Amino acid sequence: MKDSFTLHELYRTAKGFTQQCDLTNRIILSFGEQVIAFRYLDFVSFRRKVDRVNLHDMIFNLDDAYDFEVIEAPKSNQQLVLTLCDLVQLRELLSGTQFALDLNTMLHEALYTYVA
Amino acid sequence: MKDLQRLRTSLKEEVELALNAQVKMEAEASSKYLAMASWCEVNGYLYSAKYFFKQAEEEREHMLKIFHYLADQGVMAYAPEVGPVPHDYPSFRSIFEAALQSEINVTHSINRLVTLCRRVEDYATENFLQWFVKEQVEEEINARRALELFDVIGEEGTGRFQIDRHVYKITQLDIE
Repeated sequence: MKDSFTLHELYRTAKGFTQQCDLTNRIILSFGEQVIAFRYLDFVSFRRKVDRVNLHDMIFNLDDAYDFEVIEAPKSNQQLVLTLCDLVQLRELLSGTQFALDLNTMLHEALYTYVA
Repeated sequence: MKDLQRLRTSLKEEVELALNAQVKMEAEASSKYLAMASWCEVNGYLYSAKYFFKQAEEEREHMLKIFHYLADQGVMAYAPEVGPVPHDYPSFRSIFEAALQSEINVTHSINRLVTLCRRVEDYATENFLQWFVKEQVEEEINARRALELFDVIGEEGTGRFQIDRHVYKITQLDIE
């Protein structure tokens, strides 16, 4: 059972938030209507997929195919259909989450390393 | 709060990306050597072709060494996309000049990786890369030796024939 002891908020924006579950070792993304739980490696892979989308093409190409981008979340059988606006907001959320994870690693290194 | 990142891997993301870039570079080097071997074979330099086939295999082994290291460290190693490589060379000598330049580029890249590892205090990866530092010394010696043969033997008369026969001796390959 997940509770406030095992769930830690990593980052929050107007469109969504991410949490870390210490019970399942998953990163949980809540974005709009969708909730997806990632293993760490899958989260990194998903973030890179989102970062690789060419926003410039979406802005300047008038073809209907460039109005949205479909991104599959690894191992979750879920797909996100994202507009340009969604992508910008999702990037902000994911990079903020990565920052929180990096910061946590740094804190662990600084605070919990045994010093003789 | 658990450190999920560190539980999964000890590699920093920038080191992981740089190692994956090195995987790609080694694959490209292997592909270049294959093209050189092909050029040599169709132009009658069979010993040099064998030499380059061997070099292509070695570069692939280097690539796999890094590939396995990434997997062992718990991160994804990406199978590299290799673009088109040059197949036309103006002369027999120019192939060996291109080979040396390719080795120099790989050496620079390995050196930059070592510098990065020191900067982020990833001493395990730095230790792993020391094998490549040593290997590149040998690779550059071999590539330079091949070019020296052009100066020592000369290309006039049967010079290129002699150079071709001596190239394989650089790495003591068995030629039937």
